Amino acid sequence: MNALGALFAPNAWRVFRRNLQAWQKYAWSSVAINIVEPFAYFLALGFGLGAYFSLTGYGSLVQFMAPGFLGLTALNAATFDAAWGCYERRVFNGVYESMVTAPVDPLEIAAGEYLWQAFRSALYGSLFLAVIAGFGLVHSWWALLCPIMLALSGIVFAIPALYVSFVVKTQEHLFYYFSFVATPMVMIGGVFFPLDKFPHWALAIAWLTPLYHAVKVFRSLVLGTVSWNTGLEVLWVLAAIAVLAFVPVRSIRKQLAN
Amino acid sequence: MAFTAVRPSAMGCPGGLHFKRENGKLTMCAISSVVVNARSLTKRYGNLEAVRGIDFAISSGECYGFLGVNGAGKTSTMKMIYCRINRTSGELTVLGMDTARHASRIKQRLGVVAQENALDPELDVVQNLLLYASFFGIAGAAARRKASELLELVNISGKERALVRELSGGMKRRLVIARALVNDPDILVLDEPTTGLDPQARLLVWDRLTRLREAGLTVLITTHYMEEAARLCNRVAVIDGGKILAEGSPSALIAQFAARDVLEIVDADGRLPADGLLGGLVVRRERHGDIQYLYNSDNRVLLHRLAELGFEPPRHVARQATLEDVFLNFTGRELSE
Repeated sequence: MNALGALFAPNAWRVFRRNLQAWQKYAWSSVAINIVEPFAYFLALGFGLGAYFSLTGYGSLVQFMAPGFLGLTALNAATFDAAWGCYERRVFNGVYESMVTAPVDPLEIAAGEYLWQAFRSALYGSLFLAVIAGFGLVHSWWALLCPIMLALSGIVFAIPALYVSFVVKTQEHLFYYFSFVATPMVMIGGVFFPLDKFPHWALAIAWLTPLYHAVKVFRSLVLGTVSWNTGLEVLWVLAAIAVLAFVPVRSIRKQLAN
Repeated sequence: MAFTAVRPSAMGCPGGLHFKRENGKLTMCAISSVVVNARSLTKRYGNLEAVRGIDFAISSGECYGFLGVNGAGKTSTMKMIYCRINRTSGELTVLGMDTARHASRIKQRLGVVAQENALDPELDVVQNLLLYASFFGIAGAAARRKASELLELVNISGKERALVRELSGGMKRRLVIARALVNDPDILVLDEPTTGLDPQARLLVWDRLTRLREAGLTVLITTHYMEEAARLCNRVAVIDGGKILAEGSPSALIAQFAARDVLEIVDADGRLPADGLLGGLVVRRERHGDIQYLYNSDNRVLLHRLAELGFEPPRHVARQATLEDVFLNFTGRELSE
C-alpha cells in the first residue's frame, strides 16, 4: 500500500463515508460555522475597508478578495478538521483504533481523511462561490470548475494538518500549526491583497505555499483569465499532493500499524 | 438465530478441512488443531520488558484465559495476537500465519474486543456495526441482516438508532462483542471483557460468551477475575511480571497449587497451633494481617483436629479453594501496584 494508491482503495472510501455519516448529525451547524465566519470577514473587509480605495490594476478590493476567499475557505475547512478532528478521532474517540483491528491499512485511514477534507473544502467553497456569484463577482463559466480545484486544495491542505495531528503530544499544540503555519500562509497567499509589491524573498516563500497557487487558479476561474499558466498552477498543486502524501507515512504507521 | 449450530469456520480448520472416522461416521474437521502458537514470545517497550519469553499453544474450540493483575503483560500478549503491536522476539503464529508478516490476513479472521471499547461515539449502534462490517467486505442487505442478528444475540435489539453514548456500560461492551462477530471470526479475542461492569451486566456477557464457546468458537480472554476464568475457560495461564507462572485447567490448577479446602481464621493474638501440631493436615499456611489461611484437604478434619488441641477459632471461614488462591499464591496477596 502506498500513500497515493490508498486514495483509490475501497477502505479509504469507507472511512470517508464514516465521516460523512458522523457529519450528517451536525451538518447545519458545521455549514454555518464554515460559511458565516469567512463571509463576515469578506463583507467587513471587502465592502467596509474596500469602500476607501481600489487596487491599482485589480479593481475593487471586494472583487480581488472574492476568489481569494475560496482558497481561504478551503484552507480553513481542511486544516481544522484534519488537525483537530483527526486528533480527536485518533486519540479520544478510538475511531482509528477500532479500524485497525479490522483489516484496514493505516494509510487507507489517512487517505479516507484526505478525501473527506476534499469534500468539505468543495462543499464549503462552493457555497461561498454561490454567495459571491450572488454579489455579481463571478465573471466566467470557468468558475464551474472551482469545486474540483477546491477538492484538490482540500487534499493538499489536509496532508500537513493530518501529519501534525499524528505527531503533537497534546491537542492544544495544534494551535502552533494554526498560528505559525496556516495563518501566515493566508497572509502571504494573495487572499487579501496582490503580492507584486512584495520583496522577492517574501514572494519566494509565498511561491512555496500551496495556497498561493490555489488562489491564482481560483482567480483565473472566477475572472475568466484562464491560460496555460493556470494549468501549471494546478500541476504545482498536484505535484505538492504527490510529494507531501509521503511525509506523514512513517508517523501514521508508527501510531497505527503493528 | 446465529451461533446455535456449530459452524465449520468456528470449528477451526486453519490447515484446511480435516476428516476422521468416529463411531463409523465420517466427521469433518474434528481434529483439534493449534490456532495460536507462541514460542519464547517477548515484548519490550524501551527498557520495560512487558512480556518475557512466554510459550503457549491454544487449540481450536478452546476457551483460553490469561489471568493476571494490571501490568502483568496480558494486554501486550493479546495485542501481539491480534496484530496491533509486533513482538520484540520469539515466534507467534495465529491460524498458522506469522503475525509479523500476515497481519491483514489474520485480522480478516479474528474478532477483537480490545480493552478500550473504541466504539464510534459519532455513529449510532447500527452504523457502528455496518462500518466495521464494511471493512470485511460485508455490505448491503447481508450486512444489515448480520447486524440485526448480532444485536439480538447480545440483547441490544430496539436500540439500533441510539448513539453509543446513550448506551449503558454493559450495552457498550456487548455492542463491541457483537462488532467483533460481524466477520464470523475463527477466534474471538477479548481483553478484559467485563472489567468495570456491574454484576448483572457481567452475567449477561458471561452467558453470551458461554453460548459462543458452546457453538465451537475459539475464545481467548484476559481477566483479573478468578471467577470469570474459572467459569469460562477450559485452560488458564496465570501470568505475572510478563511470565506464565502456571497453566492448566482451573480445577487442575487448584488441585496442584492449593489444597482442596481453605480455612481462614482470624487469629489476632497468635494462639493458632503450629503446623507441626496439626499432623500434616495443613499443606500450606499464609498470614496476612490477622488472618491465617490454612490450605488443607478437608476443612472438617482440620477443624476437628484444632478442637482436639483446644483451639476453637473465634471467627473463621471454611471454604473450598478457588482459582483466586492459586493466583494469589503466585502473585502474593498484596497489590503489586
